[in-house]
Amino acid sequence: MMTPHLNRIYLGAAIVFAIIYLFPLYWMYVTALKSGSEIFAYPPTFIPKDPQWGVFSHVWDVRGMGRFIWNSLVIATGTMILVAGLGTGCSYVLARYRNIWIDVALFLVLMLQVLPASLMITPLFVGFSAVGLLDYPRFAVILAVTAKAMPFFVILVRATFMAVPAELEEAALVDGNSRVGAFVSVVLPLARNGVLVSAILIFMQAFGEFVYSKSIIQDVNLQPASVGLNAFMGPNTVEWNNIMAYATIYVTPILAAFVLLQQRIVAGLTSGALK
Amino acid sequence: MKYMIGASVAALLSMGSIAHAEDVTITIWSLDDENQPAMNLAQEFSDMDNGITVDYRMIQFDDVVTESMRAFATGQAPDIIAVDNPEHALFAARGAFLDVTDMVAASDEVVAENYFPGPLNSVTWDERLYGVPKATNTIALYYNVDLFKAAGLDPDTPPATWDDLVAAARALNDPDNSVYGIAFSAKASEEGTFQFLPWAQMSGGGYDHINTEGAVHALETWKTLLDDGLASPDTLTRGQWDSTGTFNSGNAAMVISGPWELNRMVDEAQFEWRVALLPVPEEGAARASAMGDFNWAIFANTDHPQEAFQALEYFASQDDRLFPEFGQLPARSDIELPPTGVAPKDAALQVFLEQLQYAQARGPHPEWPKISKAIQDAIQLALTGQMTSVDALNQAQASIDAILAE
Amino acid sequence: MKRIRSSIIDGVGFDLVLVGIPLVFLILFSGLPLVYNVLMSFQEVDLFSLGEVFRPFVGLKNYRALFAQPEFWPIMWNTVIFVFCSIGGQFIVGFGLAVFFNTGFRGSTFIRGLFLVSWVMPGLVVGATWNWILAGDFGVLNYLLSSIGVISENIFWRSDINYSLWAVIITNIWLGTAFNMILLSVGLAGIPKDLYEAASLDGATAFQKFWTITVPMMRSTTGAVISLGLIFTLQQFDLFAAITGGGPANSSNVAQYWAWELSFRQYDFARGATISTIMIAVVMVASVFYVRSTRHEVRG
Repeated sequence: MMTPHLNRIYLGAAIVFAIIYLFPLYWMYVTALKSGSEIFAYPPTFIPKDPQWGVFSHVWDVRGMGRFIWNSLVIATGTMILVAGLGTGCSYVLARYRNIWIDVALFLVLMLQVLPASLMITPLFVGFSAVGLLDYPRFAVILAVTAKAMPFFVILVRATFMAVPAELEEAALVDGNSRVGAFVSVVLPLARNGVLVSAILIFMQAFGEFVYSKSIIQDVNLQPASVGLNAFMGPNTVEWNNIMAYATIYVTPILAAFVLLQQRIVAGLTSGALK
Repeated sequence: MKYMIGASVAALLSMGSIAHAEDVTITIWSLDDENQPAMNLAQEFSDMDNGITVDYRMIQFDDVVTESMRAFATGQAPDIIAVDNPEHALFAARGAFLDVTDMVAASDEVVAENYFPGPLNSVTWDERLYGVPKATNTIALYYNVDLFKAAGLDPDTPPATWDDLVAAARALNDPDNSVYGIAFSAKASEEGTFQFLPWAQMSGGGYDHINTEGAVHALETWKTLLDDGLASPDTLTRGQWDSTGTFNSGNAAMVISGPWELNRMVDEAQFEWRVALLPVPEEGAARASAMGDFNWAIFANTDHPQEAFQALEYFASQDDRLFPEFGQLPARSDIELPPTGVAPKDAALQVFLEQLQYAQARGPHPEWPKISKAIQDAIQLALTGQMTSVDALNQAQASIDAILAE
Repeated sequence: MKRIRSSIIDGVGFDLVLVGIPLVFLILFSGLPLVYNVLMSFQEVDLFSLGEVFRPFVGLKNYRALFAQPEFWPIMWNTVIFVFCSIGGQFIVGFGLAVFFNTGFRGSTFIRGLFLVSWVMPGLVVGATWNWILAGDFGVLNYLLSSIGVISENIFWRSDINYSLWAVIITNIWLGTAFNMILLSVGLAGIPKDLYEAASLDGATAFQKFWTITVPMMRSTTGAVISLGLIFTLQQFDLFAAITGGGPANSSNVAQYWAWELSFRQYDFARGATISTIMIAVVMVASVFYVRSTRHEVRG
């Protein structure tokens, strides 16, 4: 299909693009390893002169990161499950029909997410407090983040369901399956990749959630890593290397998982090409 | 998973064994971290055998008012909060804070007469006390002695007037070596107001008359510093702590900032530095300086007013530790500050204590955030060249008049 | 009862349940807060009445006061620039990359995956990192630009009124490229290959194929991507907070950040809510645009 020569040119270009695009990530890593004065040095150094590898364990211990990361995992997992649970069926129906009510539903799903979390938090806080949800702060955050993440999931997964041939479902119904049966045993398996991958993307988003957690979760023991990071980014911050080290610990596991999974993620999302 | 459950059960059990059944728990919100007083004092108070446990939450400087207001409006407020002094009136005027006048009158630890008038004024509303000053601070001029000598300036006579200051900044400015003459903060936040207001005050202005000739002159002086490249353009978006960071790393020869920098400067600065009083408009002019730092207050809807006040009494009883241990200045005139043995820090302390005598509170006014915003807008519009200093300050005055008239 | 049950298992009831539950959820956790915001824009609100729903109504007073503020139109204009340039930039870069990776050279899937990292990084971390890169006196971007000769003196990205908004736009384009590229890749992969083959047989050039096949076939995907992009862009808050704080002198302030500033810095919740309401109205229009774009879709 493509000559080896052309292939090499494309690959070379792709690598150059990737290096430019990933530079901020690289800069985060490098800054973490620099000493205090090297950070402010101009011209900047691209490879730390004296990498401070100890910074990671220092930040981990001083900031009690284990607990923060655990809370982030709880919130991200909860959100992912709830979004997938609520959103999958919704996307399926929105892909199945083509009428004015579907338009209205799509419209609602999108439009309800217009305001940034920073403006939604006050009414949510008031509401959660009125019904007593503030006593279960992580759960409350999961509910809020789920609402926020829903449109993205629905639009992605709806595209996946659009790619499932309608004839297959009709055939299953003719074979005597109920609607539930046809959905569970025929349509869902075909859309599985798209659903899983979208769920993973939601997980990753929720893992970094900040605004809701900051206001809703007041107990330090229940706060996620984003709030822990913010706690030392206040106006009196000079510990940029520590902040970057914290950020590194925070995002690296998820980046690693992502790089391992990414081929399947991309393939899963583009599996609309199956037909 | 099993392990997790086991661990959390163990944690629950161990907590149970410490807490007494009759313990009262009070909640304290403050911005102090593990190196600052409130978190440590709260822990000590909690550990004392007085039947009171403290639940401490660290809260970001920027979030203090909104987080606590939201909590107060929904009945989730903490018992005690540390609030920035110009924002105290916002709460006190609306009855959100507990009137502690009578408790203070009966207390041996918290004695109103012992406090400096400025901080005490900031916790006062309608002649009643709604809190206790936590600490105080002010701003002065730090300067790099080594760079002074290198530029042929005499470090024993630091700039005393605004003209001196600009001249010194010009002499010290050295772009080839990435050194700015001076650093300060003109950020569009309370920090910008905090830094600018003293300049207006020592030239005869104030927050309620910000468009005086002297204030215009002050803003023009700032503009000269920026336009001539004597201060970094990032002065417009950088807070005081970051600005001082550039001084500590040798990239600015002077900086206007407060005593909260002392400990860090002792650690970081690789040069000799000293502190001078804030320069005045012309020789013999009245002095003024900003009054900063936080106040303690008890929320009006607390279930445990006595216990909360007990905590404040404990904090007040430890005020003599503020400077030696945490580098903060107690807001009291009855506390002797013994030398710490670190020479530049002790010398700086004397300057700050003198400067503190001229410190003026911002407000108090319940609409302070809006007044402050008008001043910040004027600073930013003038410094970015979108308006002349006169027009910008006139516009600010008009906004402030409207707020004061309400 | 039995009929309802059977309808749920094997009829329209099934669809209604699947759509109904999530919609109720969304109305509870997004709809009600929006209503609260809209309501506040017609009321007199202060810090102490945040917990209430019924407060004194003041009609359009908040709107009039807002329009009268001298910074209103500049900030709205900034918002327009921010939204258009961010979406445009994200879309063009994302589309270019998607087409590029869609050629399917060896290694394309792997490298394409790497471009998703901006999706994975928490907003707070992105803001902090870029803040650092864009710093005026010692930022690495200035260093890189001056070492390749593009600029002769440092640009103060965050503090120069001519650049501050662009500093945030550049960061936002970086952030949004990932999701644009991935959604557009999905769309590209969905175009049947035989269309291209047929066109090749007819002697069409690559350029003609792009305009006559790729572009029209991508219409519905484009609608989805741009609508989502609009929402993400209007929701963008972290970057303003981390990089410029809307300054200096409001030169990089946009509607959503201003709404937050009015509410949480000056405690003028009513005016903050008024801006929110205006934004809601704008997005309603945009949502209609998206929904119309789905008209062109056909289920496989």
